[in-house]
Amino acid sequence: MLETFQNLYFGFSVALAPSVLLYAFVGCLIGTVVGVLPGVGPLAGISLLLPATFGLDATRAIVMLAGIYYGAMYGGSTTSILMRIPGEAASVMTCIDGYAMARRGRAGPALAIAAVGSYVAGTASVVALMFLAPPLASFALRFGPPEYFSLLLLGLLVLAYMSGGSMVRSLTMAALGLLLGMVGIDQMTGYFRFHYGVVELGDGIGIVPVAVGLFGLSEILLTAGQATPPEVMKPRLRELLPSRAEWTQAALPVGRGTLIGFIIGIIPGSAHVISSFVSYAIERRLSRRPEEFGTGAVPGVAGPESANNAATSGAFVPMLALGVPSGPIPAVMLAAMMVHGVAPGPLLISQQPQLFWGFIASMYVGNVVLLILNLPFVTLFVNLLRVPYPLLYPGILVFCVLGVYAVNSSVVDVWIMLVTGALGYVLRKLAFEPAPIVLGLILAPMLEMALRQSLAMSDGQYTILLTRPISGVLLAVGMILVLLSLKPLVTRGLDWRARLAMAEKGEEL
Amino acid sequence: MSVRRLALAVLVLCATAAPAAVAQDAFPSRPITIVAPFPPGGVADLHARPLAAAMEKVLKSPVGVVNKTGAAGAVGMQHVATSKPDGYTLLLALSSISIIPEADKLFGRQPAFTVDQFEPIALLSADPTILVVRTESPWKTAKEFLDDARKRPGQISFSSSGVYCTLHMAMELLQHAAGVKLRHVPYAGAGPAITAILGGHVDALASGPAAVVAHIKSGKLRPLAGWGDRRLAAMPDLPTFKELGYPDAEFYIWAGLFAPRGVPAPALARLREATRAAVAEPEFRSAMDKMQTPIAFKQGDEFKRFFEADARRLAAGVQKVGRIEDKK
Repeated sequence: MLETFQNLYFGFSVALAPSVLLYAFVGCLIGTVVGVLPGVGPLAGISLLLPATFGLDATRAIVMLAGIYYGAMYGGSTTSILMRIPGEAASVMTCIDGYAMARRGRAGPALAIAAVGSYVAGTASVVALMFLAPPLASFALRFGPPEYFSLLLLGLLVLAYMSGGSMVRSLTMAALGLLLGMVGIDQMTGYFRFHYGVVELGDGIGIVPVAVGLFGLSEILLTAGQATPPEVMKPRLRELLPSRAEWTQAALPVGRGTLIGFIIGIIPGSAHVISSFVSYAIERRLSRRPEEFGTGAVPGVAGPESANNAATSGAFVPMLALGVPSGPIPAVMLAAMMVHGVAPGPLLISQQPQLFWGFIASMYVGNVVLLILNLPFVTLFVNLLRVPYPLLYPGILVFCVLGVYAVNSSVVDVWIMLVTGALGYVLRKLAFEPAPIVLGLILAPMLEMALRQSLAMSDGQYTILLTRPISGVLLAVGMILVLLSLKPLVTRGLDWRARLAMAEKGEEL
Repeated sequence: MSVRRLALAVLVLCATAAPAAVAQDAFPSRPITIVAPFPPGGVADLHARPLAAAMEKVLKSPVGVVNKTGAAGAVGMQHVATSKPDGYTLLLALSSISIIPEADKLFGRQPAFTVDQFEPIALLSADPTILVVRTESPWKTAKEFLDDARKRPGQISFSSSGVYCTLHMAMELLQHAAGVKLRHVPYAGAGPAITAILGGHVDALASGPAAVVAHIKSGKLRPLAGWGDRRLAAMPDLPTFKELGYPDAEFYIWAGLFAPRGVPAPALARLREATRAAVAEPEFRSAMDKMQTPIAFKQGDEFKRFFEADARRLAAGVQKVGRIEDKK
């Protein structure tokens, strides 16, 4: 313990050196911009800036790239809350309640809660990273395809709690998402599926264009379709900060989001995207007023935004402790280390203490920097809402198209965004919630790959999913969830979902 | 005809880029893009980025890297094959460039591209794969491993970077050379394949030496043999499969720079010269050193001969693997 603090002290002496501090700040700033721009996510940002770090030493390069990564998680919430456009994929869930809060004039509090939640999650998970990296990393390695499949299945079951109202409607949307996720090359045999001669579809349908289309474009279309344009909001200064009640509502979700995000983050292969979905679903499940979700519930912002930040620190666990990537972003950072002659691997912490401890300390510093950076921005960003819609919306459209195009330089992605935008408009007119489509689209390829890898491992025996302990436990938890959701059928009681559905029907009639 | 076309080209040039019109011999006049058809952090990417940086210095003009991933690299390769042959779009390809068209043939599909669509510029590196197992595993030598595999066909598993991808092909060539049958669990890329063997989800892996050397040093993985023509300089005690009596198990993960066929001769010459100079840049050398990948620079006929021999081996390998579905 004492040794850890000595090391941390050493780390701060590295991280607070002006030149390292400068790169941490630059990384955080770029990350915020990358997060704010719709479509451009942390992977694109880091990949673009990797060559720029070639001239730096390893510590500065890693500190800057990490700053971009977690900075993007802070920035991603901004456009989600203000305009219902996910700045990057992990902010999809924030679009729902964050935007609803903004429509009720609580944009400032939503942004502030997202920033503070991100700060708490970022800092707490660095503590966990510092103390637990080696043991957690060996735990993470025990997640093979069967464990991953069971985890994803659990994620899919959690879907049932994601949307309000009709279960049939959410499952329909999830099925649509899963179907869209089938497009692309079959990784197990090399077959192309549903590509209709468009090679770009070999990669599958991208999450970002679909998310921007379904959430952002559909919102713009819906607003434009209203007979009387909504009044331009005029946020007042005293409404910028969350009220005491809002802080209280946010506290527990931030804690839970941090824990969930960190755990999901360390598992190789899982994306931080999933952590925010799971957090949202759990908050709704635990809430005493689940019917508020979707209409501007504070926990619906606080939980997912904390989770996606904690997941970034979690993702560093296998990277730093073992030298294995837990996803595409740590893979780029490993490449950055190799480029600088630092061999990533199990010996990194002992052989490169200045890198490891400097990195850890810089993450504490970076989170403070981001908090300081983001809170004043709240005022600035909220004032964007004063811009009249005829000017604001065309501007947003331009940014959406640019951002989505920039990621893969692919016009196909722009078309996907436009088509899903139209689809989102129609679906929302018919009262379908688009979030399950995005989750289905994310889960389908991972779920399929994990299942087929498991079966390849076991030579076709499905029992592998039950006999491996972690996988078995996860499946048991899933089973309990299913049984719990069947309970109302047996006891004939009405849960909130049924009440909500009835209320909706009453309104429609 | 060609004169007229040239005149037209000059006209277009004048119209669109009037100030730069004098710079007819000044290739490059705008940024060059090197397409790495695999994700950031992969072998192709780790070659492309330092090369791009070094070429940028030599050419005094921006050179960028774009990761166009998907379909085991086919998306990026096809993108370059069908892009305008003006020398501004290049491809950093790995051995799989010879595998993919063969696999397409196997499935009876219209090949996404053929190797004739590319003009080789230079070979940068060619490292043989090595066979690694976990240190806790019972196999101390390649012979023990292969004997056990012979006794228990289809029981010992291996991970790979994907079906028909480099790490899969290396293992297939070994299986056919040694007459053994292993169980294949494909992963999406070399990183996850290494994670899988470290986690004990598979038993063996064929990998580039650089990607596993840290895990060998830390005592997590044990190398058994290499696929090279001769032993690795970095691991002089590691036998080759050739020495062990399996000369057909020869395989290299190589990385080379290609352009689409039809790039004008002056631009091509400039690119070749720039690549040669870039490879000699200290930054590029130290980047490759740090990745523990020896430079194996080849151009012209030498590269062509290597490329063709390699393509023949791989084509035969793909045919031996056959269609995955047929085996079910």
